Amino acid sequence: MGHSVPPARVIRSRGWLTSLVILFCSLGPQAGQAEMHRQVSPDTGLVSWKSSGDALDFELLQVLPDYVRAVFTTRGLPKPLIDKVSSYCVFGTILKNTTDKPLSYRVADWRYITADGKRHEIRTKSDWVAEWRDMGVAFRWSMLPDDQTFEVGDWGQGFTTIPLQPNDVFSLVYSWSQDGHTETRTIKEVQCAPEEPPNID
Amino acid sequence: MRLKNHRISTRSLLGLLTCLVLLSAFAVTARAEGELGYRFTPLAPLQAAPDFSLQDMDEETHTLSDYRGKVVLVNFWATWCPPCRKEMPALEALYKKLGTEDFAVLAVNQWEDPDHVFTYTGDLNVFPTFPILFDPESAVSEKYRVKGLPTSFLVDKQGRLAYRAVGGRDFDHPEVEKLILELQQQP
Repeated sequence: MGHSVPPARVIRSRGWLTSLVILFCSLGPQAGQAEMHRQVSPDTGLVSWKSSGDALDFELLQVLPDYVRAVFTTRGLPKPLIDKVSSYCVFGTILKNTTDKPLSYRVADWRYITADGKRHEIRTKSDWVAEWRDMGVAFRWSMLPDDQTFEVGDWGQGFTTIPLQPNDVFSLVYSWSQDGHTETRTIKEVQCAPEEPPNID
Repeated sequence: MRLKNHRISTRSLLGLLTCLVLLSAFAVTARAEGELGYRFTPLAPLQAAPDFSLQDMDEETHTLSDYRGKVVLVNFWATWCPPCRKEMPALEALYKKLGTEDFAVLAVNQWEDPDHVFTYTGDLNVFPTFPILFDPESAVSEKYRVKGLPTSFLVDKQGRLAYRAVGGRDFDHPEVEKLILELQQQP
């Protein structure tokens, strides 16, 4: 009996342990605790947005119109097409499944919201391919795929195109599905890349 | 009573330990995977890998079915794709480590010409010695239903698609090597 633990002490111990469990568990990433970080590259002055703590890591990087022109010029695309793509607000988009379960996304479900509050569909890779059928292969590998299921550890990248002008500001609404549930996030105040490279001090 | 209290206390401790282990595992996994990661997804049911015949930089033709009896890593890539560039040295390291007796790497380039790719490989820190094949119209990647680059497949000794990885991978990771060795031990 001398070694038995008094009930009150057990309860206190239990409370202490429970608190610790909750504390440690709260350190891990959880749904609904996502954060969006905005960063300015010290090398280029270009801006990127990156989520953390979500099942889907989402990163959006400004791309200069000149860079877009260069990418498609080296692929031998016709000038009218290069002019059209580079007139869009283009972002490099990197997506990654950070969980131990598959998840899916569909660009057709995403929207961008302009300053007037209107929601617009995003032009998908298939939309581009439909317009420039002969150049389908070039688009196939540069644009973000229309939809994908990412298994554990899978990730992908590609251009996302928004028909806005350099420096325009909008909100991007993106979503993904996992276990039959759809999660939606909004990145506010996304800014299109400037026409010229930003001045770096 | 003592037993009951002891059980409660043990359960709490187990909960704490489980949580700590899971957190540690998460942290270790995240650190170990780095940016590229190493996980492959098993494909089921096992289906025959679509066969193909493509030319390498020396205009020699490589046919996938000729590699039957070996585990083959088929990697779809392009020079402009940053993670493709990043995973190339690890792919070469894996190729050198495992040798060519029971293993092969076929790096299938998408929509680029051999001259451009040759210049590119010369700029890499590690020159790839495995065959680089050319899929100019992306006909092969289409058969494999590849949506983005890079995407890699492990083909087993019977010519079946065993694993897939979408996005760049650290091929030199021990877990990748283990996976390939396991496939090599299968009939």
